[in-house]
Amino acid sequence: MSSKALKLPQTIDKFRSFNFDQSLSTFAAWCLAILWLSPLVYAVWTAFHPSEFETRFDLFAPLTLQNFVQAWNEAPFARYFLNTIILVAGIVAAQFFLCTLAAYAFARFTFPGRNILFTLVLLQLLVMPDILIVQNYQTMRSLGLIDTIAAIGLPYIASGFGIFLLRQTFMTVPKELDEAARVEGCSFLGVLWRVYIPLAKPTYLAYGLVSVSHHWNNFVWPLIITNSVETRPLTVGLSIFAVTDSGIQWSVINAATLMTSGPLLIAFLLFQRQFVQSFVRAGIK
Amino acid sequence: MFQKIFKIASTASLTSLACVGSAFAVDLEFYFPVAVGGAAATTIEKLTADYVAANPGVNIDAIYAGSYSDAGVKALTAARGGKPPQISVLLSTQMFTLIDEDVITPFDDFVSAEEKESWIGGFYPSFMENSQTGGKTYGIPFQRSTPVLYWNKAAFAEAGLDPEIAPATWDEMVDFGKKLTKKDASGNVSQWGVRIPSAGFPYWLFQGLSTPAGAILANSDGNKTNFNDPKVVEALEYLVDLSAKHGIMQPGSIEWGPTPKAFFEGETAMMWTTTGNLVNVRKNAPFDFGVAMLPAKERRGAPTGGGNFYLFKDSTDEQKDAAVAFVQWITAPEQAAIWSIATGYVAPRPDAWETDAMKAYTKDFPPALIARDQLEFAVAELSTFENGKVTQTLNDALAAAIAGEKTAKDALDQAQATADRILKPYR
Repeated sequence: MSSKALKLPQTIDKFRSFNFDQSLSTFAAWCLAILWLSPLVYAVWTAFHPSEFETRFDLFAPLTLQNFVQAWNEAPFARYFLNTIILVAGIVAAQFFLCTLAAYAFARFTFPGRNILFTLVLLQLLVMPDILIVQNYQTMRSLGLIDTIAAIGLPYIASGFGIFLLRQTFMTVPKELDEAARVEGCSFLGVLWRVYIPLAKPTYLAYGLVSVSHHWNNFVWPLIITNSVETRPLTVGLSIFAVTDSGIQWSVINAATLMTSGPLLIAFLLFQRQFVQSFVRAGIK
Repeated sequence: MFQKIFKIASTASLTSLACVGSAFAVDLEFYFPVAVGGAAATTIEKLTADYVAANPGVNIDAIYAGSYSDAGVKALTAARGGKPPQISVLLSTQMFTLIDEDVITPFDDFVSAEEKESWIGGFYPSFMENSQTGGKTYGIPFQRSTPVLYWNKAAFAEAGLDPEIAPATWDEMVDFGKKLTKKDASGNVSQWGVRIPSAGFPYWLFQGLSTPAGAILANSDGNKTNFNDPKVVEALEYLVDLSAKHGIMQPGSIEWGPTPKAFFEGETAMMWTTTGNLVNVRKNAPFDFGVAMLPAKERRGAPTGGGNFYLFKDSTDEQKDAAVAFVQWITAPEQAAIWSIATGYVAPRPDAWETDAMKAYTKDFPPALIARDQLEFAVAELSTFENGKVTQTLNDALAAAIAGEKTAKDALDQAQATADRILKPYR
């Protein structure tokens, strides 16, 4: 009797705590997922239906692609896509190159002023890029680069965040591997290429994703530094739909938004597993 | 104006590459914001291209610069960065800020005495209130608007009101509103009487109440506000009472963007919004609608709004001459008429309304005349030095009163005290 009485609450407790915990976190995950999805669902709904159904839900409302046609015709999106892709690819490539070399130097070499220099790089993380807009504009002007795609990207390529992240990753690479490669006759750059970079792949993937999505969405700086269709990225092109005076046409703006964010969404869905894993491994949360 | 000037170091940029062929023409950059939909940008670009085609000595790059606030940031950054546009359309209320930053120059020095009389003197005086200070003209009215009242004739008829008559006074608006507000069996409102959007920048439509009440919010030197005048308090109390006491307007803050939609869907029988919406409402309203001046209290009254041309300082005299010539052309009657018909903005000169195109348009669509007729009673949109801060102070006070957090008087007293503190250095 007594053993039974002792046992029973224990099993109930176990049962309860297991289930309660699990279901609570599942419930929370669902809530967050729905919260995150709802604007997207609304965007998809309005984009594929005529504008009369913007604020009315009718399961059998007629489907249409007219909004996409209208959005596509109101701005040269093909050109904007090309510009954005050139911009983002250029920035990420330049960031990888610069940050890798800098991070390697900070991680594995000792030289006078190393700590001061690294502190300066870290200080960059504290400065909001928006504060520097006027200064950056002056620099681009003296370089004669106003209204070029290069001018949109240049201020971002020496990324303090990238250097910091890669340095931390390189520091975790066992020294023995480095030394073994050196014994085999690898040069400094050979070690970087054959040992460090392959081991830091998850970090590159994670950092690349953060960088791509940031620059894909960046708005203020590209708007200020560019003047023509040939250089402007998607975000600036999209802003032409966000007009308040004549009332917002949600169906067209959502069609345009889906078009511009589509490639990123598809890429994320395709590579979802790799992204999540690399985030976990790289320790960015 | 046709003097040869050599292009400066920016040849690396794509724009310049594109126009190397005209290296001996005067090059101008012209920023414009758009607040009324994609077609407006096309209209400006087309007008500019027409001008360039007719004037081989000048080359104008019309650059779309986003919303009004984006365009303001872009123009100021470019000016501080040493490469301003020669001309830009920016909010008329930014005049004092631009003067304070020392980036613009008055138009007066670049026009003859005769042009000053015929051109600058030819705009509606209420639009010039926001364009001149200290006897100088810093802004040339271009995409200007004023708020008007739109009403749903079908809803008026259904409520037993004369569908052809809009409320002319504050009291009438409340009376009509009570008849127009419809509730279903469970007490939920299915149609409100009136909708005055207040989110974001409530001060503008609020001026449509404070002006009829008999108050002017700021002096023309831009260094003194009048927020806690008893008449301003009365106006705010009226606005708050529309929801709180009379129950004819949706309570709380009301968004601008969905306002036309709410009108089309019959969620409100009357709405206050800018004439910039005229073309949109005409195209999309599924019922007969009317346009009226804002209702009167002591007098009729409304603010003006929208954008002016500004002439930037940091450019050569040839560029400035060419820029002024272009502004003269694009604000001339024919062009102003094209622009007004395409967008619904109010053509800023009486002679633009005398053109054949405009006469044909207003004959076909008489509501377009209401905004023009209201100009007689219109006053300047609130504009002071430190405009962003001062306007925000008033916006916060209005929002607090609308949300019911403060009484109208307390909120406005505090706003006035803050504005006094901000504007002290400019007196």
